[in-house]
Amino acid sequence: MSQIQAVADAVCAGKAKLVGGLVQEALDAGCEPLEILNSGMIDAMGIVGEKFKNNEIFVPEMLVAARAMKKGVEVLKPHLSAGDTGTAGKMILGTVAGDLHDIGKNLVGMMIESAGFEVIDLGVDVPIEKFIEAVKENPDVNLVGLSALLTTTMPALRDTVKALNEQDFRSNIKIMVGGAPITQEFADEIGADAYTADAASAAQKAKELVA
Amino acid sequence: MIIIGEKINGSIPPVAKAIAEKDAEFIKHRAQIQADANATYIDCCASVEESIEVETLHWMIDLIQEVTDVPICIDSPSPHSCVAAIPFCKKPGLINSVSMEGDKIDVIFPVIADTKWECVALLCDDKGIPNSVERRMEVFHNVMEKAKEYGIAPSRLHIDPLVVTLSTDEEALTTFAECCRQIKAEYPDIHITSGLSNISFGLPARKNINQAFMVLAMNAGMDSAIVDPTNRDMLGMIYATDALLQNDEYCLEYIGAFREGLIGPAPKK
Repeated sequence: MSQIQAVADAVCAGKAKLVGGLVQEALDAGCEPLEILNSGMIDAMGIVGEKFKNNEIFVPEMLVAARAMKKGVEVLKPHLSAGDTGTAGKMILGTVAGDLHDIGKNLVGMMIESAGFEVIDLGVDVPIEKFIEAVKENPDVNLVGLSALLTTTMPALRDTVKALNEQDFRSNIKIMVGGAPITQEFADEIGADAYTADAASAAQKAKELVA
Repeated sequence: MIIIGEKINGSIPPVAKAIAEKDAEFIKHRAQIQADANATYIDCCASVEESIEVETLHWMIDLIQEVTDVPICIDSPSPHSCVAAIPFCKKPGLINSVSMEGDKIDVIFPVIADTKWECVALLCDDKGIPNSVERRMEVFHNVMEKAKEYGIAPSRLHIDPLVVTLSTDEEALTTFAECCRQIKAEYPDIHITSGLSNISFGLPARKNINQAFMVLAMNAGMDSAIVDPTNRDMLGMIYATDALLQNDEYCLEYIGAFREGLIGPAPKK
């Protein structure tokens, strides 16, 4: 167990160079690969997200923690069975049409991925049809994340949610929205399932939505 | 950024008084606060008559080394005093300084040739501080010829292209910056340093000028400076500039300095 704690501490501290070796040590000590992933990395990223939410750490520190986790997953991957990673769920993510902002969306993607989800990032300025196609092409998707940073692209967010709500697959997915001008009221009004204010809360919410 | 802490210099009146009165605690305190502020070297300048300079340096260096293992920067206009003070230091540090004036370089370079000591080299010679970039680069090439002769790697040199006062020479920064660019282009591993407060002499609100100079000089390639590391505004500017110039991956040094309370708003007492 102490080996797993060492992995978790290194992920929290963003020690990318150390994490790989520590994961190997944990494996050598007989720790379960899935346990290393869940307790050593996903939970550690949960702590990192919580600290970020509470303004205890800054954006780059969240980035180095995620980078450290990636290094650990590289070592761990050959020891995990095919279904072990990305088991929490699958999310399609993108910034809506007319909006080119991606920092917030990328942070959300990173934290959701670190929470054990598989993330398909469609990028920025994504037209409505592309979201719909992506969900159809990935029948196992259970979350769609939509980002809009500008007040001028809030209507595009509304239109995208509306179009998704009219699809036959709607009952299979939950729609999450976010971005600087977005509020819970707006999310409710346009028919989204969830709104969160930051990347860490988004990851937490994603887990709740698919539970 | 290499920070050479300037607070222990006998040309500063309270320090001169402490030296005259043999106030050990004063010197130790100044060493401690500079070490706490992440100084890379602690400059030690006696600024006393040459006849008692070496013994004074000995006393000061011993005190600094009592409180910190940050390496010493031996600072004296006399090359002989510099060389005499080397054995007082527990580990290799920095000599401040040589130039092409007199026999300075020929006294100091052979002594540090086969050591890990580094050295500040000013771009002036027996004719004084050259006005033009071309003339300063000429002095630079003379310094580098000497360095080659004694086998001192460029990475052990901190070139000070020299700062004149902006109030009397409006080209003060542009000349300095152009020297930085040319020097770095020739020797990417070399350090460039400056005792920059000269830039603002004769002007009001000097700290604005000093900080602006720091940013522009760093942008031109300066990677070392003789400053007061406990000056949080200047230190903040240095960390911010390093981050903006891609010298600080993920801004972690900047964030670290903030966490340590070295930069940003002063902590409430």
